Amino acid sequence: MNLEKVIFGFFIILACTLNFGFFIGEIDNIHLHDAGHLFAAVVVNLIALVMKFGDRTHIGATHLATSLVAMLQLLAASFVWMWHVNISQAAMTGDTMSTIVSLSAGALVANIISVILLISETLRQTR
Amino acid sequence: MNEVLFVILRRLRRPLIVLIIAYAISVWGLVLIPGMDKSGNVVHLGFFHALYIISYTATTIGFGEIPYEFTDPQRVWTVVCIYLCVVSWAYALGSIFHLSQDQTLRDAIARRRFALRVFALQEPFVLIVGYGQSGIMLARMLDRMGQRMVIVEMRAERAARIEIEEFEYSPLFLSADGRLPDVLVDAGVTHSKCVAMVALAGNDDSNQSVAIGGTVLNPSLRIIARVHTKIAQANLDSFRNIELVNPFQIFANNINLDMGSPEKLRVIEWLSGLPGGMRPDSLNLPKGHWLVCGTGSLSQYFVSALENAGVTCSVVNIDLIKQGDTHVLQSQGVVFQDMLSAGIEKAVGLVVCTESDSVNLATVTRARSINSKLYVVIRQVNVANASLIDASMANLRFIKAEVVSHKARQLLTSPLLIRFLKYLDQDSGEMAKQTGALLEKQVGDKVPFMWGFDCYASFAGLREALAPEVQPPFSIGDLLMNPENPPERINAVPLLLLRKELEFPLPPEDTPLLSGDRILFAGRRGEGEVQKRFLLEPSPLAFVRTGLEPPRSWLFRHLVRRRGTKV
Repeated sequence: MNLEKVIFGFFIILACTLNFGFFIGEIDNIHLHDAGHLFAAVVVNLIALVMKFGDRTHIGATHLATSLVAMLQLLAASFVWMWHVNISQAAMTGDTMSTIVSLSAGALVANIISVILLISETLRQTR
Repeated sequence: MNEVLFVILRRLRRPLIVLIIAYAISVWGLVLIPGMDKSGNVVHLGFFHALYIISYTATTIGFGEIPYEFTDPQRVWTVVCIYLCVVSWAYALGSIFHLSQDQTLRDAIARRRFALRVFALQEPFVLIVGYGQSGIMLARMLDRMGQRMVIVEMRAERAARIEIEEFEYSPLFLSADGRLPDVLVDAGVTHSKCVAMVALAGNDDSNQSVAIGGTVLNPSLRIIARVHTKIAQANLDSFRNIELVNPFQIFANNINLDMGSPEKLRVIEWLSGLPGGMRPDSLNLPKGHWLVCGTGSLSQYFVSALENAGVTCSVVNIDLIKQGDTHVLQSQGVVFQDMLSAGIEKAVGLVVCTESDSVNLATVTRARSINSKLYVVIRQVNVANASLIDASMANLRFIKAEVVSHKARQLLTSPLLIRFLKYLDQDSGEMAKQTGALLEKQVGDKVPFMWGFDCYASFAGLREALAPEVQPPFSIGDLLMNPENPPERINAVPLLLLRKELEFPLPPEDTPLLSGDRILFAGRRGEGEVQKRFLLEPSPLAFVRTGLEPPRSWLFRHLVRRRGTKV
C-alpha cells in the first residue's frame, strides 16, 4: 500500500463529498446550506489543488485542470456569499443562495470528473 | 510546458499545504468560539471576518479585535493561531528562499531565459559552440564587425567570462553541453535568423557530435566545424552543409606552399590577413633536412607537408603524460639521444609541436645548444603564453586558435574570397603572380578590404546601364571609376565574378556585366563605400560613362531633348 496514494485519494474524494454535502438540499432554501460546509469544501479543494501541482503526465495535467475549475467555482460562490452578507449588509435570501448553490454544483461536476480520473487511473494501474 | 514552473510547484507543495491547513484550523476555530457584542449577546464571527482577522494576525500586522472586543476564550484561540500561522509562514518562506538558492532551479531559470531571449532575436546571428581560445578570438573579431552572436560553452567558469568581457553587442550565452540536441535548439539552431553555427568544442569527438547534431536538426544551416584529425575530417566530409577547418592541415599546407611556390602563399596570406594590416612577407623556409619533434596528428601533417615539398625529414616522438590539466615530458634523456640520431647536427629546420608550451620551449633550447643555426617553427599552445614563446626567438610560430578563428571568420564573412582562394590554390602560380601585381599597384603593401558588389537591375542606379543593347556595354571597368572624380580610379581589384553557376577569377576590366552578377573586389579602406554610390541613383554611372551629368527632373530632360533635336 502506498501512503501517498492514500492521502492523494483521500483529499480528492473528500473534496468531492464535502462539495456534494453543501450542494444537496433545495436550491433556494437558506437553511439547508451551511457556511461551514462551504468553507470546508473550499479548504479541502485547495489542498487537493496543491497536491496536484507538479505532475508532468497528461493525466496529471487534466487532474490539475479539474481542480482549478472546482476552485474557481467555489471561490466565486464564497465571494457571492461574502458580498451579500458583509458588503451589502443584507440578510441571506433564497435568490442569492440559489446562485451560490448552482456555482457549487458546477464545482461538484469538476470534482466528480476528478474522482473519475482517479478511479480510471487506479484501474489502469492494477491491470 | 514550462519546466521552471513545474520545479517550483513540486517543491512548494508541502509548505503550501501546511499553510492552507494552518489557516483553515485557525479560521474554523474563530468561527466556532462564541464572541460577545457590546450589550452582552452571544454572536459568532462570520467566515469573512474570521479570515480577515487571521490574515492580518498570521502576517503579524495586527489590526486589533473586530467587530467587537474578543472574549477570553477567543483570545486563547488567537494565541494558538498566532504561533501556528507564524510558524507555518516561516516554514513556507524558508522553503521559498531555499528553493531560490537551489542550483537545479537556477540552471532551469537561466536556461529558460536564454531560450526566450534567443527566440526573440530579430537580427541575424552566428551560433558559436565552444568558447575556448579559438572561440574567444572568433567572438571578438565577429563582435568588432557588428555581428550578433549566441555562445554555448560547457565549462561554467568559461561561460561566465563572457559576461565580464567587453563586447560591443553582448552575446547571449549559456553554459551547457552543446552535444545535447535540446541545448542546440534552445541556442537557436532552428531559428530563422541563425546564419551559421561554428563548432569549436573541446575535442574532435564532441565537436563531431555538435556538428552532426546541428546539421540533423537544421539541414539547411551552414555549419563550420573545427577538426584535428583525418578521421574526423572523413566523418564530417559526407555532410553537405558542414564546412571544415583543420588548423593543422592549413598550417602544414602553408609550409608546403612556402617551399613549393612561395609567391602563391604570399598572395593567399596577403588576401586573408586582417584588413588594414601589413602585407605578410614570404617565410623563406630553408630547404634541407628537417626535424619534427612532437606527437599526434599535427606532426603527421607536418611530415607529409615537408615530404610533399621534397625535403627530407625525421620525426622525434615526444611522449607526454597528462598530469591534471598540463602535459609533462615523460622522459628527458631519450629526447636528447633521439635528436642526435635524427640528425640534428646537419638539419636546417626544426618543428616543435607538442601539447605543452614549456616542453616546446625546452626542446627548442636543447636543439639550439646542438645546432644554433636552426630555423625554428614552434607551436604556441596557450594564447596567454606569448611572452614565453617570444623568448624562444622562433622564426615562425603556429597558434592554433589564430588559424582557426581567421579561417572561420573568412568563411563566415567573405565566402566569395574563399572561392577565389580555391582558384588561386589550384592554379599553377601564374594567377598568383598576376594578382600580386594588381594588388601591389592598387592597394600597396596593406592587406586589402574585401567587399561584394551586387550588380542587380533592381538597383535604381544600375537599371539603365543594365538594360539590353546599351552602348558602350556596361563593364567592370565602369565600376572602377571614381564617381566623384571620373578620370580617377577607385583603388580596387576585381578578384572574382560570379554569374549564376559560373565563376570567373580575375575578370578583365572590359568584361561586360549582366544583371545578377556579383563581383568580389579587394581594395583600400573606404573604397567600397564610394563604389556603393553607383547603386543608389543613375547619375554617377552615367557621369562616369559619358562624362555628362544627366538631367534629373522631367522639365530639364524635356529641355535637353528639345535642344538635342535642334542641334
